[in-house]
Amino acid sequence: MKKFFSSALWHGLLWQAIGWALGASFVTLIRVLMGLKPFATFGFTEPAWVFGGLVGALSFLGGSGVLTDWFKWAKGEETHENHQDPDGWEKFINISLDHKVIGIQYTMAALLLLVVGGIFSLIFRTELASHGLQFLSLQWYNTLMSLHGIVMIIGILLGISGVINYIVPLLIGAHDMAFPRLNAFSYWLAPPAAILLLSSMALGGFDTGWTGYPPLSVRAPVGMQMFFLGVIVAGWSSVLSALNVIATVLRMRAKGMTAFRLPIFVWAAIATSIIALTATQEIGLSFQLVMFQRLFGMGFFDPAKGGDPILFQHLFWFYSHPAVYVFILPGLGIISELLPVFVRKPLFGYRWIAMSSLGIALVGFLVWAHHMYTSGMNEYLRVPFMYSTLLVAVPTGVKFFSWVATIWRGKVTGPYPTAFLFVLGGIVVFLMGGLSGPPNATVATDLHLQDTYWIVGHFHDTLFGGYVLPFFAAIYFWFPKATGRRMNEALGRLHFWLMTPSFIVLTLLMMRIGLLGMRRRIADYDPSLGFDPYHLVMTIAAFIIALSVLIFFINFFRSITKGEPATGNVWNSRSPEWQVPSPMPAHNYEQPFEVVGEPYDYGLADSVYVKFAEKKTGGRN
Amino acid sequence: MEHLNKSEALRQGVLVFVFLAVLSALEFFVAIAIGSVTLLVTIALVKFGLVLYYYMHVYKLGATEDPDIDQHSYAYKLTTSRLGLWLFLLSDSFVFGGLAVSRFYLLGMTRPPLNQILGLGVTSVLLLSSFCMNRAEVSMEHGDRKNFTLFTSLTLALGLAFVAGVLGIEWPSAIAEGVTPSASAAGAIFFMMTGMHAFHVITGLIFLIIILRNGSRGLYSPEKHWGVEAATVYWHFIDVVWIFFYPALYLIGKIL
Repeated sequence: MKKFFSSALWHGLLWQAIGWALGASFVTLIRVLMGLKPFATFGFTEPAWVFGGLVGALSFLGGSGVLTDWFKWAKGEETHENHQDPDGWEKFINISLDHKVIGIQYTMAALLLLVVGGIFSLIFRTELASHGLQFLSLQWYNTLMSLHGIVMIIGILLGISGVINYIVPLLIGAHDMAFPRLNAFSYWLAPPAAILLLSSMALGGFDTGWTGYPPLSVRAPVGMQMFFLGVIVAGWSSVLSALNVIATVLRMRAKGMTAFRLPIFVWAAIATSIIALTATQEIGLSFQLVMFQRLFGMGFFDPAKGGDPILFQHLFWFYSHPAVYVFILPGLGIISELLPVFVRKPLFGYRWIAMSSLGIALVGFLVWAHHMYTSGMNEYLRVPFMYSTLLVAVPTGVKFFSWVATIWRGKVTGPYPTAFLFVLGGIVVFLMGGLSGPPNATVATDLHLQDTYWIVGHFHDTLFGGYVLPFFAAIYFWFPKATGRRMNEALGRLHFWLMTPSFIVLTLLMMRIGLLGMRRRIADYDPSLGFDPYHLVMTIAAFIIALSVLIFFINFFRSITKGEPATGNVWNSRSPEWQVPSPMPAHNYEQPFEVVGEPYDYGLADSVYVKFAEKKTGGRN
Repeated sequence: MEHLNKSEALRQGVLVFVFLAVLSALEFFVAIAIGSVTLLVTIALVKFGLVLYYYMHVYKLGATEDPDIDQHSYAYKLTTSRLGLWLFLLSDSFVFGGLAVSRFYLLGMTRPPLNQILGLGVTSVLLLSSFCMNRAEVSMEHGDRKNFTLFTSLTLALGLAFVAGVLGIEWPSAIAEGVTPSASAAGAIFFMMTGMHAFHVITGLIFLIIILRNGSRGLYSPEKHWGVEAATVYWHFIDVVWIFFYPALYLIGKIL
């Protein structure tokens, strides 16, 4: 406990509370001096809450100490890159510049947020198990449903940063990320962002869903503003982390690692970072405009003042559609990265896979308005957006073709490792998500499907298959690298076989009742529609998924100390990080390596991928 | 691009400034006399290109380097930092791009009634500050500390004048014209665009204060002055944003 109370996390939280109170009091004082109403329903007035929330987030950063080195630079003082982290667990709640520690920090924060978001969904899923309102008020239902969406999204973004941070420098042979301080800063934006998001529950919640469309978001309670602030802060985390990834890959590669010898996951990380670096600004901007409309009466989205709510949707989806590729591209990269290791065959069509990630990312910039067919935007825009959206299926199809061709006649001896199961599960579930996509992209069918449970089933399939299952695969696969121990295989298999089938049942039923007319985001439904049994089965499936996640956590924490030791190349991988003992030392490779061959020549004799420099022996020193 | 000596750099800086000044005057004239949007956009793009190349030195991103260079060396880290800064500017330009798109989406080919003389005035001040910034950076590159301090201070003063002009004179005068944040979408867009830009100018001023202080303490040398280069490129970026925002707000379209 003593370690916790001296940690950067605790100091940050403390300062966030202090900053929040001071900021809110400051605005309240000014309001008193100006003769305005000082207090409102939730204690402070809305401007006071917003300003306080902003000051609180900045105070967190100042209080945690993540800015200290930059202040020193501004004062002209030298700093050193401190990689001498303590050995214990406390390094994970303190500022570290080591990309591996930051990667684990991100991953743990992501798991925490995914659990919180999952609990929210269990609560309202239970409410939906039968018609009528059981135990939630409408406002709480809406708030939990909205928070489920955004907390999961932020959790996914953090999880992506976690895997990328941990793996990419190891894959390319870098000693760290290009900007270690910026890397730490990006991570430490996440805790205040999460607190801002969750604080919305105490301030009346918000009922817009995670999309926050005006005019509803202009009228929602103060919680709406906390949601906006939280997303903006988390967005900066994503932007700066993406900047770091691009600079790292462009500048820190090992000798001989040319563009087409990059591991496929690195290509995926680059593609995803291009989107996160640029498009994220538009969601921040759109939310900022609504914030200002609420605070200052600026009429961006108010038709009475010459504004237009459709503009919000354009800005919002310009990020939020590509964002789904931010979520899935790293997941698909993990699938392509791990598949050849397990089936002992070269990855089929390496260059096509590398280019398909970039292709998805770039086409992804041109499809945003397919969310808006029914919004009242100009009708002539529908057709070009329909075609650009259908175009995404081409590079995605390339990936499936490569996976199938890679698996074809592969040789897996013995029981399937858990990580491999999750890769296969990811492919199957993502295929379901992929096949249920074109009906939404096509204008004629989307006019019927818009805002139904079909859509809910579709995007849960894409995100589970494209992100969640590959993320678990990555955890099972690289866990020995981080800890020097393996996770338990029996518990892992149980986790997989509980989670995946129940998830498939869940989303298939979502799609079915969606086609029959179940609207999304509503707290109640007409009993005469006959959806009660479906909803009951879906609720049971959701609890089985929760149980499987519980098993995962037991396995995870047990294996850190009690897992079977695995310090060598457990997966018989060609990748450089497995050629050195686990866990990795602070500055990664003691001897630099040179890339001399193709990365995925599994099963081919005499093919060498990386060659480590000779240890300097003899001579002086 | 080869390295310029001191007088060549001065000549180039002045020449680029003259071009920019003439183009800005031409822009103003085109807006009043012809009103051709194509021409206005072309002029803005030419100004953008001039600043990007001659003041922001975008070509430095493509500089070749020794393949066996030590990744821990100052030279290597400098190139990496430069790349990082440009990636940040790319990201930031999406904020301004989004605002510009919103402006044309909501207002189309109309614009709010604003004081033209004030607009031209603050634009000239910002342009002049960009020239001074360039002089300050070139001075540091040639080890001329006296001129570095002089021109950085001048940039700082002009930047302050710009902020004072926009927030202290332009905003009240717009409000007096009935262009208020809450009256109409046009007012909202005007305050949002100028406000976001002014926020960036203020952060730029903070960087200027930092390099001025560290420069006067002798912390920069002709070989090692990444802080100066970063603050310079950022300052010119702010100028680039205004190159597009100025015509978008003041020159293009019919007055509402």
